[in-house]
Formats: sequence, C-alpha cells, structure tokens
Amino acid sequence: MTRLIDLVPPHVLGFESYVPSRPDEVLRRQYGVDALLRLNNNENALGPPQAAREALAAFPPVQGAVYPNGDCHFLREALGRAFGKDPGQFLVGNGSCEVITSVIKAFCQPGDAIVTADKTFAVYEWVAAFSGIETRLVPLKDYALDPEAMLEAVTERTKIVFVCNPNNPTGSWWDKAVLERFLERLAGRAVVVLDEAYREFAESPDFPDGMDVLERHLNVLVFRTFSKMYGLAALRVGYLCGAVESVDFVRRTHLVYSVNAPGQLAARAAVEDGAAHVKATRRMVAQARGYLRGVFDSLGLEHVSGEGNYIMARVPVPDTLLYRLLMRQGVMVRTMTGFRFPNWIRVTLAEQPAMEAFAAALRKSLDGR
Amino acid sequence: MDTILSLETPPEIGYARVLTFAAETLARSRGLAAREQTRFQLAVEEFFTYLAKTVPGHAPIKTVLTGKPYQVCASIRFKAANLCLGALNACCPAAPAGDLEAGEPLSLILAGRVADRFRIDCEGGDAFVLHAEVDKVYPKADTPDQHIIIRPPYRAAAQDDPGLLVLAAGLAAASYPAWHCPASFQTPGKFADMSQAGRFQSIMALDAASHPAGLLCWTRSGDKGLSFSGPFVFAPPEDGAEVARLLMDAFLAAVARETAEIVFSERATPDTPPGYFEPLGSLTLHAPGGTIEQPVLYRHLREDTGETVWAAPELADFLHGAYDRLAMCRNVMTAHPATSAERERSLFSATVDKYKATAALRPLLDGEDTQANLAAHVGALSGKGVANIFLYIDLSRSWEAALAGAALRAGFRPRLVLPFAGRSDVLVLQHDQAD
Repeated sequence: MTRLIDLVPPHVLGFESYVPSRPDEVLRRQYGVDALLRLNNNENALGPPQAAREALAAFPPVQGAVYPNGDCHFLREALGRAFGKDPGQFLVGNGSCEVITSVIKAFCQPGDAIVTADKTFAVYEWVAAFSGIETRLVPLKDYALDPEAMLEAVTERTKIVFVCNPNNPTGSWWDKAVLERFLERLAGRAVVVLDEAYREFAESPDFPDGMDVLERHLNVLVFRTFSKMYGLAALRVGYLCGAVESVDFVRRTHLVYSVNAPGQLAARAAVEDGAAHVKATRRMVAQARGYLRGVFDSLGLEHVSGEGNYIMARVPVPDTLLYRLLMRQGVMVRTMTGFRFPNWIRVTLAEQPAMEAFAAALRKSLDGR
Repeated sequence: MDTILSLETPPEIGYARVLTFAAETLARSRGLAAREQTRFQLAVEEFFTYLAKTVPGHAPIKTVLTGKPYQVCASIRFKAANLCLGALNACCPAAPAGDLEAGEPLSLILAGRVADRFRIDCEGGDAFVLHAEVDKVYPKADTPDQHIIIRPPYRAAAQDDPGLLVLAAGLAAASYPAWHCPASFQTPGKFADMSQAGRFQSIMALDAASHPAGLLCWTRSGDKGLSFSGPFVFAPPEDGAEVARLLMDAFLAAVARETAEIVFSERATPDTPPGYFEPLGSLTLHAPGGTIEQPVLYRHLREDTGETVWAAPELADFLHGAYDRLAMCRNVMTAHPATSAERERSLFSATVDKYKATAALRPLLDGEDTQANLAAHVGALSGKGVANIFLYIDLSRSWEAALAGAALRAGFRPRLVLPFAGRSDVLVLQHDQAD
C-alpha cells in the first residue's frame, strides 16, 4: 500500500502548519487568570460599527439554513458605490487570506516566484511556500519596505510583488511619490498586490489611495479587509479591487460561497454607514499610540510605529518569555520572532484602560530583569 | 544525497552474508576506511545473527542501510515480545566471563561495541527498530592561521561552502574550549560533510575580505528543538559584540519560521549577546583545567501553547518549581514506576564525547534493573575517565519519567528542564559523582 507521506509534494512536507492561539477560555485556565486582554491581533477594541451590529442583530436565525449569495452580489454593489467603481472590479473572500491564496493560484505556477519583504505579513510567504512557489524576500531598510531592493529582486519568473502598505508590523509606509515611482519602474512586469489592510487608519494626505492607483496601473490589485477598522474579524470578510480583466483571472481560481451571509450583511452595513466609527477608531488609536510611545520611552525601549493600529517595541528579554509573563497578568501581545523580529513585541492600540493595564503589566514583567 | 539499500530477508543465518556484503559495499562506496567498513559489516552481521537465532518464528527482518557522506547506518526492524537487549548497555563487560551460554550474548556485545552508537525506537506493541551507526574517520584539524587580520565591515548569512566551514570550525576548535564545540569541530572535514548532508546548518559572519569573523551552527534535537553551538567569534575583541549580535539575529531570522518550537544550547559561548535567551540553569563540567558551570540557554520561537508532562513523585516539586520560574503552562501528571517491569534488563544508550569527557545516557527500554544498570553505567564510564555523566529523560513518556526515582537513588540529581527538546520537555539529570 502506498504510504500517505509518499503522496505529499515536498513543498507541503516541508511546510509547517500554523498553530493559532488556543481559545481564550483555555488560555485563561492555563495561565490562571480571570480575564484576558487581547492586544495580539490588531482587533478593533470598539467592535463593529453600529450599523453592522444592527445588521447582525436583524439576521433571522432561520436564514442559517440558506446558502449565502455565492459572489457577494450586494456587498460588491455597495463597494462599487462607495468607491465609484464597477462591482465587477471587486472580489470578496473569507478574509484577505483567502484572496491572497486566490491571487497566487491565478498567476503563479511551480517555477514562478513572488517578491515581498522579509519582515512583513507572513501569509504571502506561507501561501507561496505551500503552493510550491518560490518567495524572494527583500530585507527592510530602516524598518520600511525597500523599493529599490524589491525592484532588483524581480526577475522574469516573478509574477507577483506584495507590498503591505502600511507595513505590518512596522507601520512604515510608502507615500504617493514612492509608490508611483516604484510602479513606473516596474513597468507592469508583475502583478502588484497593494495590501491595504490598515489603510483606513492612515490619516496623512500623502498616504496613497490604492483605489486611485489601480486606475492608472492595470497590474495593481488592492486588498482591504473588514477585520481591522470595521471590527468584523470574527466574520472573515476581505476583498480585492482591480481592473475588471485581472479580477476576472483571479475569480477563476476563487471559491464561491466562502463568505457567510451575516458577514456579507455586516460588511455592507459597515461600508454604507461606517464613517463615524472610522473617526472614533482613529481618535482612539491616536491617543493610544501617543500614550504607549511615552511608556516605551520611559522604559528606554526602542519602538516603531507609523500608521495602523499597532506599535512595535524592542524588549530586553526574549519576546516569547515576555509573552508568558504578560499572560500571567492577563495581557496578550504578539511575539515578533515569527516575523523575524526577535525580542520585539507588537501591541494593538486600544482604549486607555487597556493600554494602562498593558503598561502596568509590562513594567512588572521587566522589573528586576 | 543519501544512498539507501533496503533488504527484507528471512530470519535465517544464511542470509547474513547478503547483508554483510551489502553493508561492506555501501561503506566502501561512501569512502569509509577498511577498519570502519569491517566494523559496520560486523555490526550488521551480529545484530542480524542475534535476531535470527533468538526470536523464534520471526517474520522476515527488514534491514535498511543508509550511507551518508560522513556515516553509514543500519536500521533493523524486528518484532520481539520479550527480547532482552541488555547486552547492548555500555556497561556490559566486553569479554563475558565464564560460560558463554549463560552469560551475555556475545553477538550483541560485539555489535554494541563495534558500532559508534546505536538507538532503539519502539514503534508500538512489540515492534522495534534498532539503528547502528558507524562514522567515517577524518583527520584532525590543522592548526589554523591565527595571524590574519579581521576587520569590519561585517556581514552574516547562511553558509554552506565546505571550505569556509572547515576553516571556521578549525578556528572555533582552536579558540574555544572543547565543551563549547560540536565534536565534529575537532575534525572539521566531518563538520563540512555533516553540513552538506543537512545535519548542521550554519550562519557565518564574514569580514571585509570575506574571511570568517564568526560562526554559529545548529542541528535538530527531538521533534521540536534546534540545538545551537556558538556564537564563535574570531573578530578582534572590540568588534566581538557586534559580530555575535549579527550571528544571533541572522540565526533567529533563519529559523523563525522553521518547523521547530524552540532553540536551545547546552554549550553556548560567553559571547552570546544578552537578552536573547532564557537561562534554564547550568551543568557542571569537569575538565583537566578545573570545573565550570556551563549555563544552558533556550528560547521559544513562538508562543508557548502548553504541554502535558509526566513526573516521578520524587521530582514533582522540582518540576513545578522549574515551570513556575519559567512562567510556563504545564499539566504535570504523576508517573509511577510500573509494579513489575516488562523486561528484566533495562537499556540505555550512551553517547560519549571523549573531547569533553562527557557521556549522555538516554533510556531506551525499561527493566527491573534500572537503578543497578545506571549505577553500572556510572562505574563503567567513570572507569574510562568520563567525568561528566548526564541522563536525559523525555517527560512525554510516563515510563521514562518514572525512571527518575531510580536515577535519584543511583546518584543522579535533577539540574534543569529543556522545554520541547525531545518529544516534549526533557529533564536533565547529572550524576553526583561528577559534581
């Protein structure tokens, strides 16, 4: 009998499956705490916008028996209205991770490569790895994606360049001029995925709007998500936008029915009536960023934070040890070794009491070490 | 690329010749010297002969011979409900006294001696795989040229160039005490071959003229661990900290998304930059120049998801204390020794490093004589001048954890826990005699 292992391609055999955090109740029991402050996944502490809450509350349970709309028809229409585009330019997925997978499937085959940064959102690299696609990783320069080095890494086998803007986890970002110059020099030799998962947090007028950029560059696909700013992470709704032709190619590899009905309803409500929520979230994030910068400065810790609802700090002990010390006090942060930033932590910017609780736990953890 | 020969033969002594011919051919093809060819051939022959003679009504015996650039290995898969392998213990006398029939089986004693090391995997039930390895012999390191001036700027990256690896391993062996170095550094050609075969991976720092300025290497340990050696720094003292940090950053970046939970080192050098690791404790190392406390360092590569481990009642307090100090979630279950062991004779593997005068014992099979067997190992190893004797117990297996009581009575003392260094956490004990 053939062994199962003999049926598995080498690139899958060599890939390590991602181990997500255990459920909160398990973690609380493990660490002996009554409550857990989640500052690890850049979730929005304000939750979903009011309109999305109402949409969810109005969802009739009996509809649970009915398949969702397979291609998110009404949500794509709402996105089209919001951004002044054809609904056919949008493709919605079960979170942006699914859309990343679809794009790689659409454009890459074994022997091809993608280019991205060595210290950025890991899913581009993971999906490429378990799909048998080479990843060319470009080092950051001063905590930011390096456009020159990324251009140099592009070869004739490169099909996709992933640009996370602002970059997760550093928060660094390319302004309009840098992005435009990069796209001109790339000259359409590869698809550019402009991952704007944290775009809604950016307030600088110099911050490029992918929705404009893609009109001038047909090889650009913009990714956004409802998980971060719109607080709908549990419902898993992400989307991409691009030229109709390129979106059509991606649609061929994309599974339909992957976005559930409550998610579609809540996301549509957020698009149509989320402006006040965006404003309130930005206010909370700005205040938290200022507060934590002060905390890290007072502890003499190097920190990095640009746009996005997170801040990263270098700590004087292994990040994985600090994780456990903080967990014992009911505070959960993201360790950064896996992002290739050993001894750094990333902290979600949230409401003031949570930030103060984190600061107190951090001081206690580092005290005497 | 490994060469693999797989043979399935009836358990009849007549087939031993087929196996020994295959073993010799393989060893020769991988460049082993005549003496090692013979040792390998003999190990295969004696194990096979013993099994063929001892296990009545045995199904065919499957033997897999693997040739690596630096070593040949025989893996013999067999079934044995009550087989006694006690003669493989390193403490077993090489020349059995008295009546051979009543003493230890000579073939097993021989096999255990001619192989450089062996281990036994239990595949469940009464199925076992016995692995016997014979190493290629390499020349000792040349004295490296220490007069080369190393100067900045420095860069660090993964390195697999055999020439550079030989040079750097030789430099490390010449600059650092043996206990900091993998044994293969004493014969750098072996280190290069092991690297080529994927046994070691290395980060090397190079200076402005591309001369080695530092080295850090690592190898897999258990299912979830990476054991590293270094950082070895060859740059001038004023640049040492920078080179060490470059090596460490490049190392952690290289393994950050590896299929491992932790990195650790029982022989990290004093050049290890502060803040990267958690101290787990220390081991006492006796050397001709004196005694030192060697710190043992570790770090997780990702968030700890907790684990269940077993502890002998005598060691529960020690383990609870260790886990509490590490702020680590563990369900500690009580492991009681079996009321009657399955076998009369227990079996331990012994890996001896003559350069460091150290021996690492690992339990392979439980038996009624565990305490006496451990004491006999200590006696035999001490008699050979091994001053540092350690016992590694994988806490994921209750029978192994339960051995700790016998180990304490045999004079071993718990030193530290290596999280995830085996199938799960590994308890390291050290024999008191060496303290």
